[in-house]
Amino acid sequence: MEVRKFVLKRFVEIFIIFFVILTVLFLLFRLAPGDPVTRMVDPTLTPEDSQHLIAQLGLDQPMGLQYLYYIKNFLTGNFGNSFHYGETVSSIIWSRLPNTIILFTTSILLSAFVGVFLGKIASWKKGTKTDTWMTLGALVCHTLFLPWLAMLMIWIFGFKIGWFPLNGMISPEIWMDPSSGVWLKILDVLHHMVLPLATLFSIHFGSYLLLMRSSMLDTLKEDYILTARAKGLEEKTIRNKHAAPNAALPVVTSVGISLAFSLSGGALTETVFSWPGIGRELVFAVSNSDYPLAQASFLLIATVVLISNLVVDVLYAYLDPRITY
Amino acid sequence: MKKLLSGSAWTAVIVAGLLLFVLSCGDKKDARFLKVGLPEEPKTFNIWLASDANSKKILDLIYQPLYLRDPETLDLIPWLASGEPQYDPATISCTVRLKPAKWSDGSDLTSADVAFTASLIKEFRVPRYYSAWKFIKKIETPDNRTVRFYLEEPKAIFLTRTLTSSIVSKKEWADISQGARTQQKPLKALINHKVEKPMGCGPFVLEKWGRGTYIHLQKNRYFFGLHQEIGGRVLGPYVNDLLFKVYGTADVAVLALKKGDIDLFWWGIQPGYIDNLKQDRNIKIFYGKKSALYFLGFNLRTLPFSDVNLRKAVAVLVDKEFIISRILQEYGTRMDSIIPSGNRYWFCPDVSRYGDGIDRNQRIKEAYHILQTAGYTWEVPPVDEGGRVVPGKGIRMPDGQPMKKITILTPPADYDPHRAMSGMMIQEWLKVLGITAASRPMAFGALLEQVKGRHEFDAFILGYGRLSMDPDYLRNFFHSANDKERGWNMSGYNNPEFDRIAEKSASEMNPELRQKLIHEMQKIIMADVPYLPIYNPALLEAVRTDTFSGWVETLDGIGNIWSYCLVRQNDATSP
Repeated sequence: MEVRKFVLKRFVEIFIIFFVILTVLFLLFRLAPGDPVTRMVDPTLTPEDSQHLIAQLGLDQPMGLQYLYYIKNFLTGNFGNSFHYGETVSSIIWSRLPNTIILFTTSILLSAFVGVFLGKIASWKKGTKTDTWMTLGALVCHTLFLPWLAMLMIWIFGFKIGWFPLNGMISPEIWMDPSSGVWLKILDVLHHMVLPLATLFSIHFGSYLLLMRSSMLDTLKEDYILTARAKGLEEKTIRNKHAAPNAALPVVTSVGISLAFSLSGGALTETVFSWPGIGRELVFAVSNSDYPLAQASFLLIATVVLISNLVVDVLYAYLDPRITY
Repeated sequence: MKKLLSGSAWTAVIVAGLLLFVLSCGDKKDARFLKVGLPEEPKTFNIWLASDANSKKILDLIYQPLYLRDPETLDLIPWLASGEPQYDPATISCTVRLKPAKWSDGSDLTSADVAFTASLIKEFRVPRYYSAWKFIKKIETPDNRTVRFYLEEPKAIFLTRTLTSSIVSKKEWADISQGARTQQKPLKALINHKVEKPMGCGPFVLEKWGRGTYIHLQKNRYFFGLHQEIGGRVLGPYVNDLLFKVYGTADVAVLALKKGDIDLFWWGIQPGYIDNLKQDRNIKIFYGKKSALYFLGFNLRTLPFSDVNLRKAVAVLVDKEFIISRILQEYGTRMDSIIPSGNRYWFCPDVSRYGDGIDRNQRIKEAYHILQTAGYTWEVPPVDEGGRVVPGKGIRMPDGQPMKKITILTPPADYDPHRAMSGMMIQEWLKVLGITAASRPMAFGALLEQVKGRHEFDAFILGYGRLSMDPDYLRNFFHSANDKERGWNMSGYNNPEFDRIAEKSASEMNPELRQKLIHEMQKIIMADVPYLPIYNPALLEAVRTDTFSGWVETLDGIGNIWSYCLVRQNDATSP
């Protein structure tokens, strides 16, 4: 099958899956116990107030009608207003999304780059002390409890040594000062990014290292590696030019999916570091039954995951000539 | 090699840049700012939408009411008003004179703004405000500084809730409300209006909201209380700038306090941090009381808790002192009435105090006695013939039927460990009496849906963290008219005598007479025990003392408007 036909077929599949997700999301929130008004524990809110508010939010309509409005609004690009912020959902998401991308996408790319590099070395030096220590280190880092590591980082580098800010994304004092230039502001954000980035990197790079190491070990058993050696190629060339590109294929899939999911941020990391990303908003929206915000956030993630899956599939064909569509 | 060198050079440049940055702003602290930590970012500055605690905290420094509670006596004192309200029973009207005051843009605050606020709340039926304003029949504004409210009938909450509602500017909201009026859903349009710069008359104005990062409030130079004596205090504000930052976890907030990044964490601190904070001589801990109620509620609509004897037996059995000492680590007080003891004027001390001052065995014996007298029987009674306490087994109702398994719903431990743990303790105490019980933590939304929406439960543990100072919530919680879906009478309590007194109290304008009625209501409730009040957790707050001082303690802590009007920098000599 031609790549064009394959992509077209996948687009149709994506379209169908997307509508299934759209419907499941709608049902999931409505069928969950409680609604946004029930959660308001305020004795000054009378039952009549609650009913009035529910009617204004359109939640008193039959579920079928709500679903039709939901689909119609979605098709016209209107995701509605958050029940708690009052603002349009898209404005909330767009204000948070760049913060999430800056931190989480950077952390995934960085940990993938380092993980692949170290995994390559570990597999090449299989059975040596280097391999043992790298594998052990990767396992330990990968299994660390993220909030604990985050708190430890904050305590040591933010509080005890004081090199980095305890939390947040910027220093208000710098951003409120009219004399602060752009570079100072950029440095300020980078300064705030160090601890959360280091935490995320420590947790994630281990999984890429282990994945790359295991994939590389399989690749090294292939006949073409033996052929390359028989041809008298340098070990470095065999490792970097013949083995590593083929071994990196599973890592490409993993990074692709992780990048897509990075848009959802990480509620734990964002909470501990008070990073104003989308992860915390997502948790807030779900726990407070803020349907429009939760639905739109999940839809965004679903869209990116579906598309990145397609990109990874196409990329596979490009990276591995054995794969054809 | 060249590549490696080039890579290393770049890394060195970045690291050096960051280090320089670290060194340049390591100790950059601007003393002008009073820095306050919040647990979450406020959601909105639209006063009609704001329902979260953090939005309200900021808005309370911007929008102001006519009357405010004195922090010491908790009496209502004139705030925007210039004197006491003049109530005329003959015409059921009340006249209020306003102080000379201005909005933050310099325009005059007049009686028209008060009348506009009332009409907006009534027209749009703004939730949370409407119940305090709906009985206002008419408002007259004889002059710019006089407001006369005409009530449909006497309403006690007029003094305590209507007159303590925030007033908004007609100039700010007239066009917005006009636009909302034309929409298919006017209230939705009103609450969804994005307020960038709320225009208030309070001590502070919003200077900038850095979304997700900080909130900067500045002193309002038009604040009506500036350098004025109100409630025996000469008000400031004596700080020019307030800076609010968000701390997602209490751990980091405590570190920020110790490091000097913030001067106050505006949220209660868990007892576990206290010993650590005490070691820092620049930190002071305030031990305050909350206007809160944490209770065990029963479902009176069905057996077994429709029987008052069983509720009384459970009330005796629940060891409040144990819960306070072991679960709250002594940072809390026992509650014996629905109204917290800190609300001194309305609290009734003469209510039934179940199980007060007796030990565990005596509790079991007394509970057994209550149930035995009411006709309950056991396969193995919890007190044997020799008077010794033994594990009870197989309790039967007075009609001879075995008692069904009781489920106690609680919020999950990650939401509130105190309530989840209390549920487990009560479950164990009930088992000793031979009652099969299970504590079931469940998601907060689901719990409320089950208890308040569907009424499908046996018992539950819930709490109100910030009860109003006006005791009208007693009527909301227990009047039979509120036993409906989404109604606050979650227990399904139905007592015509209570209803009669509650209705009388709601229309009693004389505070002394109303106090007697409210006391009577508390006695009835504690005799019938639809709710068993358990504890009121202490409010622990920590501030730095090396930068600012002058915090004002009141019920619900030091984070109040009085503090923000009186706190001053330690080395400041004048405002």
